[in-house]
Amino acid sequence: MTTVPVAFVINGRRVEFMVEPRRALADAIRDDLGLTGTHLGCEHGVCGACTVLVDGQPARSCLMLAVQAEGADVTTIEGLAHGDEPHPIQRAMREAHGFQCGFCTPGFLMSAVALLAENPAPTRDQIRAELSGNLCRCTGYQSIIDGVEIAVRLLATTSDGAGT
Amino acid sequence: MNTPPGLSGLVGQSVTRVEDDRLLTGRGRYVADVDPPGVLHAAFLRSPLAHARIKSIEVAAAKRAPEVVAVFTGADMARLTRPFPPFFMLPGLYNPSFPAMSADKVRHVGDLVALVVAESRYAAEDGLELIVVDYEPLPPVASIAQALSPTSEPVWEKAGGNVLYDFTDTFGDVDAIFAAADRVITERFSCHRQSNQPMETRGTVIEVDPDDSHLTVHSATQSSHLLRWMIAALTGKRSTLSSLRRFVTNTERRRGFVTAAREFIRDNAQELRRQDPAGMRAQFSKDRTSVIGVNLLGISLLGKDDYPTVKAHDIGGAFGSKGQVAREDIALAAAAIEIGRSVKWIEDRVENLTDGGQAREEDLAVSIAVDHDGTFRGLKVDITIDQGAFPGFPVGAPGFTRIIKTMLPGSYHWDGFEMRSRVVATNKGKYVAYRGPWANETWARERMIDVVARTLGLSPTEVRLKNMIDESDMPTAMITGPKIDQTMSTKKTLVRAVELMNPQAFQNDRQSAAAEGRYLGLGMACYHEAAPGHYEYWDSINPGTNLLLAERARTTVDPDGAITVYTSQMPHGQSHETTFVQIVADELGVPREDVRLVWGDTDKTPFTIGGTGGSRGAPIGGGAVRKASREVRQLIVERAAQMLEAATEDIGIVAGNVHVKGVPSRGLTFAEIAHEATVAKRDRTEPAFDVTSTYRGHTDCGWSTATHACIVEIDLETGLVKIPRYVVVEDCGPVINPAVVDGQVRGGVAQGIGAVLYEHCAYDDAANPQATTYMDYLIPTAMEIPDIEVHHLQTLSPGENDFRGIGEGGMIGAPAAITNAIEDALAPFGARVTDQYLPPTRILQLAHVIGHD
Amino acid sequence: MKIPRFEYHRSESLDEALVLLAEHGDDAKILAGGQSLLPMMALRLAAPAHLIDIGRVRGFETVSLGDSGAVSLGALVRQATAERSPDIARRAPLIHDAAPHVAHRAIRTVGTVCGSIAHADPAAEMPAVALAAGATMVAKSTSGTREIAADDFFLGYLHTALRPDELLTEVRFPVWPATATSAVVEVSRRHGDYALVGLACRVEIDGVVITDAALAFFGVGTTPVRVTEAERGLAGQPISEDLVAEAAKVVSASLSPGADIHGSTEYRRHLAGVLTRRALTRATTHIGGRT
Repeated sequence: MTTVPVAFVINGRRVEFMVEPRRALADAIRDDLGLTGTHLGCEHGVCGACTVLVDGQPARSCLMLAVQAEGADVTTIEGLAHGDEPHPIQRAMREAHGFQCGFCTPGFLMSAVALLAENPAPTRDQIRAELSGNLCRCTGYQSIIDGVEIAVRLLATTSDGAGT
Repeated sequence: MNTPPGLSGLVGQSVTRVEDDRLLTGRGRYVADVDPPGVLHAAFLRSPLAHARIKSIEVAAAKRAPEVVAVFTGADMARLTRPFPPFFMLPGLYNPSFPAMSADKVRHVGDLVALVVAESRYAAEDGLELIVVDYEPLPPVASIAQALSPTSEPVWEKAGGNVLYDFTDTFGDVDAIFAAADRVITERFSCHRQSNQPMETRGTVIEVDPDDSHLTVHSATQSSHLLRWMIAALTGKRSTLSSLRRFVTNTERRRGFVTAAREFIRDNAQELRRQDPAGMRAQFSKDRTSVIGVNLLGISLLGKDDYPTVKAHDIGGAFGSKGQVAREDIALAAAAIEIGRSVKWIEDRVENLTDGGQAREEDLAVSIAVDHDGTFRGLKVDITIDQGAFPGFPVGAPGFTRIIKTMLPGSYHWDGFEMRSRVVATNKGKYVAYRGPWANETWARERMIDVVARTLGLSPTEVRLKNMIDESDMPTAMITGPKIDQTMSTKKTLVRAVELMNPQAFQNDRQSAAAEGRYLGLGMACYHEAAPGHYEYWDSINPGTNLLLAERARTTVDPDGAITVYTSQMPHGQSHETTFVQIVADELGVPREDVRLVWGDTDKTPFTIGGTGGSRGAPIGGGAVRKASREVRQLIVERAAQMLEAATEDIGIVAGNVHVKGVPSRGLTFAEIAHEATVAKRDRTEPAFDVTSTYRGHTDCGWSTATHACIVEIDLETGLVKIPRYVVVEDCGPVINPAVVDGQVRGGVAQGIGAVLYEHCAYDDAANPQATTYMDYLIPTAMEIPDIEVHHLQTLSPGENDFRGIGEGGMIGAPAAITNAIEDALAPFGARVTDQYLPPTRILQLAHVIGHD
Repeated sequence: MKIPRFEYHRSESLDEALVLLAEHGDDAKILAGGQSLLPMMALRLAAPAHLIDIGRVRGFETVSLGDSGAVSLGALVRQATAERSPDIARRAPLIHDAAPHVAHRAIRTVGTVCGSIAHADPAAEMPAVALAAGATMVAKSTSGTREIAADDFFLGYLHTALRPDELLTEVRFPVWPATATSAVVEVSRRHGDYALVGLACRVEIDGVVITDAALAFFGVGTTPVRVTEAERGLAGQPISEDLVAEAAKVVSASLSPGADIHGSTEYRRHLAGVLTRRALTRATTHIGGRT
């Protein structure tokens, strides 16, 4: 089995390891790095459960080879909180009862963080459109959108803005 | 006695969820996250053909492939496992016995042909590509029409054709009613095949202890005890004689079995007496070996020393699909035992769309006998279900017809009702329970009511109100048997829904929209469901089935005062970890942080066949934990009374302070009471208080009801349907956590919207599945699901435990409301909606904008 | 659904990539964003023996601005970049109009415009955009450079005029005429899906007269399709509702879309007519005095 080296930053920590070129970034994150918060729902780029941030932008980690993340700055759900302090989106989703089974949740949180980084005050319609790339089977989405709206208010009142 | 507000006032509040601590931070533990050291990975070779004989299978090259550890064929599995027995027996039913993997014949695209176990899933899939199978194709059976034909190729050779079940139930003098009717109105409805599609696929990790070979099975399952028993029964195959010998010589096991059997028979004597042997006779006449097989299975179970432990952790949704015992699970267990190492299988999405669970493909011919003024007299239904190739295990389509038969009359008066139920086998993926598996009874009935209304020139609401059972009629019973009390508040929900929708105003809106070329429609649907139903309800479904109603729960208080509740429920999104804690904390009068829920582990939780499903969670599971906790509370109060030298009736508990009422300073903590109770015990590590209690279900009728109402807007250029307004008026009695209930309702409605407008588990004429990726099976996104208004009525009842289920309701009402609205919108074109699946092409055909190809 | 084995080559330069293509071309695929290729490999529908990763080649991510107002997108220009670029919005508005329709944001982060064009899915937006704009595909190999007009580029289902040893290094969009307006309209089952039918439309108008029109449909065949009969019917005509209706009729009659589980042939044909009307109406709304 041929392997190649890959190195990138994940949740602020630099990692370097050997990987089969065909290994998906999602599998590297979950199995090689032990960060199982990122989930695999379809492995063909549609459901969005595997969404992570690559250089601050949302990307499907099931549709990237680990080698494509070389030199990148990757953020997963485990990287959202500051120590014990939850990210505003996490606080907001708790308040909104955003989720049920939790399987789609990591992908939604990363997509929401990316949305709010670019547009700190989206309308409900904009939130809905932006989150349409993540599938949920439990909630019917309303509670998730409610959660993003709460996050918008939380971020507006904090001084450090809408970033990870 | 109404359900009093609990001592801590938590029930009824949308308290935030315990689960969110870990689920919002990526610290959930789903089966894919379970990684025993040295675990191997499995991949299944699945048939590319719908119906074929296997002439030969070559696995030598696969065995030699890099990192492949073992390869198993169907023939290998036949050596290592016993076949699934026909679990569910009904008069008129043939239920095939089937093996974990197929050796001679494949019966659907996706059927299991081989199993590769390797160091990684990547390597296992590489190994699959090296297996060579020589198939001899057989004529496929791809539709209900084909299956009904006596010349169709039999999917199951001993069934005598592809009709596996044919049974008619009659209530009242139906023929006379129809003969005397003013009008008889008939229509045929067709529901398409859908799939549960939780975001997490199925998965199982068989962990083998290197020292004693004990199996710990981690699985995303809705019923851990059932899985445990079936793995024990079907794997570790040894001769019957050997099993008997081991059973007889193991004194402790023999005695334990006899005691348990005696207890079970004593507790369930009534139900056992009502079991109908006609089912077993019907099965035996077609297939002796399968019935004998059941008994041999029992003997093999008796001879087992070591049953596996099954654990479920976090589960990413199921909607009924994970209540099955999967063939894959048995094959994996057998492989792990044979190899002596842990084996892990995580289903991929293509597998899940192919055979992870399908549902709802049903044809219903409906006839209604009515008076000219719309009064219902008689109802006749002929339903055929396409159950695919392999039967659901333990329960599948035939079992669901029993519920459909009971519920089809709905919340309305009828003089007579007759239903013919047929289940056919085809070469498709298996039919499983899907959120309200009987839901097409509501779809067909509510659709038909609109048809009747249109035919007679009456409004659908008028027809519903005229015929719906009213509170003044109660107590009464459905024509199919189940009792009705005020918990069947359907009429109240309908009246409220009509108020909210304001049909008069809607007519004006519709007119102005039509002038702009926009087509609006208003549709409604009403139903009631057993959630969980009266204790006798299950007798009407099938005699003796109310065995399933009983559930045990255990509440303990540790020496340090910590409270633990053990449930047989298997939460997979329903928030039991929060709602059950609310119930228990309220019962005991403690802060909810002091209570923790344990579930999913067969070593720790009380046995149940049922698990989570059928809207049992809140009422039965909740009822059980409440009962056990109430009994613990009594013990606490008695001990505290002693310690405080007061009368038990003078003891109160507030925020964990157990005190003399009115004198909070004279109080004790749970820790102090528990410590005192432990001092006298021999084993200081045991819980101070430990109660296991059985809850046998409701004494009231336990119905939940709802009316769904929606407005659709149809673009007649594109055939796309928008839903500008969706309203649910539901009544599930006292609500434990409103946010949780709202979430359950909305999720169910979303699946109903998906069913009508987006989702189709399509097969072609050769039974090849056409929607095996998410490019083709379309789960609705946030853009397709509108905000949904949920209004709660909370009709209370005198029952001891009033909690009623709500998990399935959203999906029961939605397809009917939406299809009714669509027919209403297309009324100017004379459209008659008889399909449940209405993609844009169909909409434009119904509106005569386009013709058929 | 794990990707099958392949030999992995990472090119640091264009020349390296071309040499690799020359050697392995018959059984190699280029990896730019991978948003079209990787799902096919995960489904094991594609299993190239070699994967040539051009993700690090400098200069490929450039949007080059031509003197006269043309714009050229290098092989690594991401869909998201194209969506946000003010230069592209001005110089190649069809790209700007199409980009929000392309899947979802996460796909656009990584997927490339050139990659979508080279992959040539007939239901994708960018190939039709290239056709409607009259773009030129620049293909390089060790033998030299070829410029292929969009009209000659799309040959069949997932099949382009690129030879196995050629790399699509850039797509050049011609100067966008001052008199032109653009519209990209599509109908899909869900937001972000591949189009059931879509239309990338360029209309040049002088006063109230249409001087030139390009109607490039996607989702209607094995390639994106320009309905030239309808385009000819529009050229030289004053804009009017009747003219638009006639164009829609011609479009519906000319196309023979295949049927699948998402739409019948009649449905797609009908939809193409509807989109014709919607796109032409949108492209000409600023013109007053229409009958």
